[in-house]
Amino acid sequence: MARVYIFKRFERFWHWAQAALVVALLLTGFEVHGSYRLLGWERAASLHTSAAWLLIGLWLFAIFWHFTTGEWKQYIPTTEKVFAMLKYYLVGIFSDAPHPFRVTRLSKHNPLQRLAYLLVKVCINPLIWVSGLLYLYYNELGATVFAGPGLGAIALVHTAAAFLMLAFLIAHAYLATTGHTPLAHVKAMITGWEDLDDEPAHEPTRSHT
Amino acid sequence: MTKTVSPACAVSLCLLGVALHAIGAHAADGDWKRGRVYYQKVCTDCHGAKAGGAIAPNSRSIKDWTAYLSADRHARGKDALKKYVSREYRASIKGVNKAAEKYADVPDEQLFNDIRSFMLKGAKDGDSPASCT
Amino acid sequence: MQMPMHAAFRTIAVMAAMLMAAAAHGAPDAASAQLLKSTSDHSKFKVLQQDFQSGPEVTKACLSCHTEAARQLQLTQHWKWEFLNPDGRRLGKKNVINNFCTSVASNYAYCTTCHIGYGWKDDQFDFTAQENVDCLICHDTTGNYRKPSGFAGNVVTRDTEFPPGSGKVVKALKLRPIAQEVAKTSRDNCGACHFFGGGGDGVKHGDLDSSLASPDKALDVHMDATGNNFACATCHMTEGHQVPGSRYAPTAVDKGGAHLRGKERTGNPTTCQSCHGQAPHKANLAKLNDHTDKVACQTCHIPAYARGGIATKMAWDWSTAGRMGPDGKPLVKTDAKGRVIYTAAKGHFVLAENVVPEYAWFNGKVTYTLLGDRIEKSDQPTRINHFEGSASDGKSTIWPVKVFRGKQAYDPVNQTLAVLHMAGNDDTAFWTNFNWEKAVAAGMASVGAPFSGQVDFVSTESMWPITHMVAPAQSALKCRDCHASDGRLEKVSGIYIPGRGSDHATWLDGIGWALAALALFGALAHGSGRIFVSRRRT
Repeated sequence: MARVYIFKRFERFWHWAQAALVVALLLTGFEVHGSYRLLGWERAASLHTSAAWLLIGLWLFAIFWHFTTGEWKQYIPTTEKVFAMLKYYLVGIFSDAPHPFRVTRLSKHNPLQRLAYLLVKVCINPLIWVSGLLYLYYNELGATVFAGPGLGAIALVHTAAAFLMLAFLIAHAYLATTGHTPLAHVKAMITGWEDLDDEPAHEPTRSHT
Repeated sequence: MTKTVSPACAVSLCLLGVALHAIGAHAADGDWKRGRVYYQKVCTDCHGAKAGGAIAPNSRSIKDWTAYLSADRHARGKDALKKYVSREYRASIKGVNKAAEKYADVPDEQLFNDIRSFMLKGAKDGDSPASCT
Repeated sequence: MQMPMHAAFRTIAVMAAMLMAAAAHGAPDAASAQLLKSTSDHSKFKVLQQDFQSGPEVTKACLSCHTEAARQLQLTQHWKWEFLNPDGRRLGKKNVINNFCTSVASNYAYCTTCHIGYGWKDDQFDFTAQENVDCLICHDTTGNYRKPSGFAGNVVTRDTEFPPGSGKVVKALKLRPIAQEVAKTSRDNCGACHFFGGGGDGVKHGDLDSSLASPDKALDVHMDATGNNFACATCHMTEGHQVPGSRYAPTAVDKGGAHLRGKERTGNPTTCQSCHGQAPHKANLAKLNDHTDKVACQTCHIPAYARGGIATKMAWDWSTAGRMGPDGKPLVKTDAKGRVIYTAAKGHFVLAENVVPEYAWFNGKVTYTLLGDRIEKSDQPTRINHFEGSASDGKSTIWPVKVFRGKQAYDPVNQTLAVLHMAGNDDTAFWTNFNWEKAVAAGMASVGAPFSGQVDFVSTESMWPITHMVAPAQSALKCRDCHASDGRLEKVSGIYIPGRGSDHATWLDGIGWALAALALFGALAHGSGRIFVSRRRT
C-alpha cells in the first residue's frame, strides 16, 4: 500500500484547531441565539467571543501560510471529474467502484472538495466574520449607523451563516468517512499520511490544468 | 458578608400619627441613630430567629427598659448585656457583622448609651415607639 | 440622663483615660471622635431657648439667623406642590389626580400633613407667609417631630382630642428640644413623608419605604447604614434648598460624565452617571458598558423593589369600598400575613413584596391625564400618567417601573376623572358616610369642576420610576434575565435582544434547522446504504 504525505504539520494543526473552534462556536452561538440552554448565556457569550478571536488569529496565520506556500492553489475550482465524483458518491461507492480521483501532494482535494471548501472560504466565512465583527462592535459603530433593527439585521446574517456552517460541518464530518476505510481520511488528517489503495500508482497527475 | 439581618425585623419608626409622650429625653444622651443600627444589625440578628424571639423596643415601657439596662442581666442573668456591646465582642463578630465592623472602635460606654437612647425612645411609651415590622 | 451611678462613674473614668491616652500620644483621637461637625451648637442659641407654642414660632426663630431660607423654600415644589410640565400643563401634588387617594383638593387638612408648611387647610393658604414654612420637618434629628394627620400640617403643642368627640387624644409635642437639635437632613427626615406616599408605609413608590431609614447593604448599597450610609441629599445634592431629582422632571438618559469637584456642574446630580460616569463596569465586564446606551442602570441594578420587608400596593379597587361587616361596622379584611387588603374606607388592595418591575422605554417625558381631560371607559385602562419613549427616538432607555393599577371613580356623563372628598368631619366626606355621589359632588365643587351627579368606576394605570433600593453588584441581573425568551424584557419592543425568541426570524430558523437536518439525514441514509452493501459483500 502506497503512502503519500499529504497534510503538513501546520495544515493538520490548523484543521483540527479550526474544527474544535467551529464546534465550540456553533454550540455557544446557538445558545446565545436562544436555541437551547447549555452553559448559561453569560458563559456561552463570553466563550463565543473568545473562540471567535482565536479563530480569527488562526485564520490570519492560515492565510499567510496558504499564500507563502502556494497552497491556496488547492482551492482553485475545476469542473473536471465533478460529475464523476458525484456519480461515485451516488452510485459507485455502493458497488465498490474505484475512486475516480487520486490524491496527490499537489492535488489533495477532489473536485467536489475544492468547490465545497472554496464556498466555505469565500462565502460562509466572510459572512460570519463580517457579521460577527459588526455584532461585536455594534456599539462602537454608533447607534446612528445601525439604528433600530440594525442589530437584528446583523444577527440575521450571522445566524444564516452559522446554519450554513452547521450544514457544512455535518456533511464534511460524514464525508470524512468515505475513504477506503471509514477512518482512512481521519487518520490522514492526523498523521499527514494518506494510504492509497493498491491500484497501480502512476506518477501523480495534476487534476486541474 | 454572609450574614444579613432579616428585613422583616428592620425596626422602623412609626413616623406619623403616633401618640406622643414627651419625656424630655435629650438626644445628647446618645446617638440614637447609631444605637438603632447596632440594635437592628447586632441585637436583632440573634434575637429575631434564635434567642427567645423578637425584641421590639415598643414591647416594653421606658421604665422596664431602664430597669433592664441598669440591672444589666442579659439572658436572664447568664451574662451581661455590656458583653455584647463591648469592643471585644464587636471584634469577635466583625468578620460576619458589618455593624460590629463599622463601630469596632466606638468606646463601650458611648455605644451602650447610643443603644439606650434608641431603646428608650422606641419604648411603647417613648417618643417614637419602634416596632419590629 | 438616666444612668445609674456606677455607670456614670465608669463613663467618667473611661473618658479620663481616653483624654490621658490622647495627651500621651499627642493625637486628638478621642477629641475627634466627639468633634461636632457643625460650627454651631443650636442648643446654645438664646432664640431657641424658649417654650415654643407653635410651629411658626420656631420658624421665626430660625429665620432670625437663616434670613433667606424661607424665600428659598418658597421657590420649591416642596412648597408649591406645583410643577409646570414642559408640555405647558400644570402638574404637582396640588393639581394631579392619582389612583391612590386621588387628589389633594378638598382633602387639604389631611394631605397637607406632608406639606413643608403650617396651616394649609384649604385653597386660601398664604404661600407668601415666611413663618408658614416648616423648618423642623426636614431638620429634626431627634426623630420625635411629627405632624398628625388632620391638622393641616400643624404641630400639636397641647393635648388635643381628635377627631373632636372621639375620645382619642393627640399628645402634645415639645418643640424646644427638637429646635435645639436641628442639623442637616437625613433619611429619616425625607422618609417622614416620602416613605409614606400614598397614605402608608411603602404604599406608593415601592422603592421608598421605612426600611430605608436604616437599611443594610443588601437592600441599598448606597444608603447601607453599616457602610456608605448615604443621606438622601448625598445624591439629591441640594443647594439653596432647591432639591434636584424630582420625578416630575426626570433625567431618563444622562450622557454626561461623573461630576468632579471643582468642575462646573450643570446636570442632574441624582443620576447614577453623575457619580459613576459612562463606563462604570470594569474591563473584564466591558460588554456591560455597551448596554448603557439602551438600558438604564436601574434596570439591572434594582432586581426587585419592596425588598425591605414592607409591602407596596400594586393595585387598588375603589369601586368595592363602603362595605359593612355583619356587625354593621365598616368591614376590614386582612390576608394570611395580617396585612390589610380591604377596608370599607378604601376598597380592595393588592400588596406585594420583592416585586419584579415592569420595563418601558422612557425618554424623560411624562404625560398626564388631568381633571377635565376626556376619558373613556374601555378595555384599555386610562393612563393617569405615562412614560413616553421608544426604541427609535434616540432619547430613551429601558427603565424599570412600577405600574400601579387602580379602579377609581369618574363621571361617566362628562367623561372626566373625579376629585373625591375623602376626609373631613362633615356629611359629604366619603370616609364619614360612604356615599360616592356626595363625595364626588363635594370634591368637584371644591375645584369648580362640572359634575353630572353620576359616578362610575374606570380602570386606571400610573407609572412610577424605580430608582432606589440599588442592590449590591452580585445581586444585579444576570445576562439571561433578559437574554432569553420570556425574560424580563420580553415585552419591550423595537430592540433586538440576542437570545430572545420573539426577535428571531422564524423562517430563517426553520430553513436553517431543516438544512442541518437534511444534511444529517442525508449522511445517515448514505452511510446506512454503505454499511448495507458492504455487509452483503462480505
